[in-house]
Amino acid sequence: MLKNLKNSLNLSKVDKNSNEIEQLEDTNSRRSFFKKTGAVGAVAAASVIAPSAIKASAAGEGDPAIMHHPKWGQSWGDPVSKNVYGIPSKYEHNNVRRYTELLASGNERASIAVTPIHESEGIITPNGLFFSRCHGGTAHVDPNEFRLMINGLVNKPIVLTLDQLKRYPRVTRTHFIECPANGGQEWRRPQYNSLQFAKGFMSCAEWTGVYIKTILEDLGLKPEAKWMLAEGSDNSEMGRSLPIDKVLDDAMLVWGQNGEALRPEQGYPVRLLVPGWEGNLCVKWLKRLEFSDEPYYAKEETSKYTALKPTGKALQHFYANEVNSTVVSPSPEKPWRDLKEGDTVEIEGLAWSGMGTITKVDLSFDGGNNYVEANIKGLVLPKCWTRWSYMYKIPKGFKNKDGKQIILTSRAMDDAGFIQPTVDQEVFGGDVTKEYLEAALKDNSKIDKTKGMGVESVYHRNAVESWEVNEKGEVNHVQIRTV
Amino acid sequence: MFKSELYKSTLKAAAISGLAITLSGSLYAEETAYNGLWNAKKDISGGLYYPIKDGATGPYKVNTQVYKDSDVSKGQSGIKAIYNNGRVPNDAELKAWDKDIDGLNRGLPEGSGYVDEGEAIYEAQCIMCHGDFGSGGGGYPALSAGKAKEIKRTLNNNRWLNPTAEGPQRVFGSYWPVPSTMWWYIRDAMPHTKSKTLTDDEVYSLTAYMLYINGMKVDGEIVTEDFRLDKEKFMKIEMPNRNGFVPDIDGEKGLENVRDFYADPSNYGAIRLNNPQERCMSNCQETDNILRVDGGITDFHPPMSVARDLPVVKEDAAHKVTFDAKGAYETAGCTMCHGSFAPAAGDKAAWEPYMEKGLSKVYQNGIEGTQMGMPAKGGSSLSDAEFKKVVDFMLKF
Repeated sequence: MLKNLKNSLNLSKVDKNSNEIEQLEDTNSRRSFFKKTGAVGAVAAASVIAPSAIKASAAGEGDPAIMHHPKWGQSWGDPVSKNVYGIPSKYEHNNVRRYTELLASGNERASIAVTPIHESEGIITPNGLFFSRCHGGTAHVDPNEFRLMINGLVNKPIVLTLDQLKRYPRVTRTHFIECPANGGQEWRRPQYNSLQFAKGFMSCAEWTGVYIKTILEDLGLKPEAKWMLAEGSDNSEMGRSLPIDKVLDDAMLVWGQNGEALRPEQGYPVRLLVPGWEGNLCVKWLKRLEFSDEPYYAKEETSKYTALKPTGKALQHFYANEVNSTVVSPSPEKPWRDLKEGDTVEIEGLAWSGMGTITKVDLSFDGGNNYVEANIKGLVLPKCWTRWSYMYKIPKGFKNKDGKQIILTSRAMDDAGFIQPTVDQEVFGGDVTKEYLEAALKDNSKIDKTKGMGVESVYHRNAVESWEVNEKGEVNHVQIRTV
Repeated sequence: MFKSELYKSTLKAAAISGLAITLSGSLYAEETAYNGLWNAKKDISGGLYYPIKDGATGPYKVNTQVYKDSDVSKGQSGIKAIYNNGRVPNDAELKAWDKDIDGLNRGLPEGSGYVDEGEAIYEAQCIMCHGDFGSGGGGYPALSAGKAKEIKRTLNNNRWLNPTAEGPQRVFGSYWPVPSTMWWYIRDAMPHTKSKTLTDDEVYSLTAYMLYINGMKVDGEIVTEDFRLDKEKFMKIEMPNRNGFVPDIDGEKGLENVRDFYADPSNYGAIRLNNPQERCMSNCQETDNILRVDGGITDFHPPMSVARDLPVVKEDAAHKVTFDAKGAYETAGCTMCHGSFAPAAGDKAAWEPYMEKGLSKVYQNGIEGTQMGMPAKGGSSLSDAEFKKVVDFMLKF
């Protein structure tokens, strides 16, 4: 029976369960009971992988997942003494951070592991899935040896233990952190047929800590202070500096993340949080803040995290992650293969801006030629992931009326007035015609180099993202370009 | 300074530097056209900030005992509390940690080193990652691409018209604006496997070697093999791309320049509208030219999958897990019964009646459960093989 079921479903994925099934068959009595249980297990797992498989098996006898008691319903579950720190269901083992060797500066200790945005729910990233970036490996700081030194242009320099730092009045804020290289591999063309890698260099969490301005009230900031250096205690002594404006506004030192201590990958026990600005500024494993009248020129604000423009000049101290959005469902990882003409489906996505609060999200079905306004839903917070939604009836063959395949493009706007550019608007600094680009291709001097970011910036790419849905309901990453 | 004077003082400093004109001018005075709700205002990054007003910042309420209205632009502050957390660091502690070297080379210690000494250290400790003469390789950053001044010209190689053309080379000599960054980073972050182990003289010699392999000049002279770098000469290192960055962050007007720069969206490829109604909703662009992922990057670890199945257990030598039967007995719930009304582990007399039908029957009863109240596998999630090991442990007399 088992074999037949497996064959009729023709699901190779079921094989991954075979260990468990065979193990159940192994026992030498009440064989028929175990066979049934095994069969239920196989179908239950299969149905998750391919929902359409349910229909075939349900036709005559009824769906085994319904017709039989599942094994977890007829035996003891785990005692409360198991997993005193909870872990996800073992069936969720594919919902993980992922990395690629192409994003490593040589090895996985100067690299990034990105968040499975396609599996994200709501606006909070679980701590274990929060994207992880380091320049010298994840440090494991002993909180008893943690010290925070604040010196430079303050009236009273200070050194604090972790408990002393936590004595300051705390605030809790929900903010995303985004690596400014999110999408940065795709200036010239789409490279990842994956939402996780195209947009997963970011996560969003509820942070608890203290405003730096609160501590400065205690220490007294000298009037000539313009810049603050933040240094980590990790292997790379990661350092960045930022203007005093931000320090006196909403910059925080945080130790709490989604209701618990920061994870080591997030800078345990304390990191800097610079709401909305480059994730790289949010220095982890923090050890020191220093105030100065002149800029610092740390490594990560000169050799990296600078954006080279067509003029040959590069932007330095490029702070805010600009307004951005993406369709999350569907995505290359979560296609529409199981949907057919006439089905109504929710298109869902995320929008975010490091410059303010999301006010509008528009959705296009033709790659950005025509837009409708989508619905923002849930909490709408500054410098925070914001969910949006649009109900849609699947057309025949996933095609628009003009016979072309659907291309889903989202475009967000924030309360600072910023709107996402098209791919070419960001690259060329505005709308360009085919004639203009073709002339420029023949003669480079015909292009205005003072406009646009070009394609060598690496960082801060926030042009609209597009998914093309093919006739099978598969979803592929595309870019709409003029030429 | 009185603590409550904090922001006022900051603002006063700003006024001296000419910043006050900006603050009292359009930048901060201007409310956004259609917000108003949260009293959001423009900030130094071109975005908005949400000052604490009427007991809230944006959507967040604040404790008004701590935070009164505080608007950076108006120099307001309301905090009256005096904290007495921590202590003042002593000189030895400051000396140990305050070691950064800024763009003006403030913080650079005395010391010196020769190019050939740097080369010897490089070949012993750096070459395995950064390659011959800093050429990079294996994904590790290149430190040189040839003569700095010539390589700097490649910064104009923007591949926006021809994606397959030769791109820009951003290495120390061609790109970095100041040399202090290199000295600072070598000392604190290198070698990657054992950072902070080089002496100041070794860092000088490695920096001298960096200047050498990048064909750079110090005080008008090309750095040669016999060059010796010290603090005095360090001040005269010529960085070809010193003026290659915008906005100008140095000096009195540094922050003002940043503020002005990001107030203009065209400086950074952004589009700002005065009103959302201005945005294009129809016939916005031609969409015929679709660029698809051509091969692309698929080297994902773990491999991409959205299946909700059971993980494949790796059973090679590296992943072999030895099963702890005693630990399982103690933690999987066995002791709830065994040791009270059911026979405990090692209690030979108590087990004897259960052993009459042989070990295989004990296994079977345990795995399947019994009418007497033994739940299948004791209610645990152990595999059969693991469960049998627990039984074996319990029957060790």
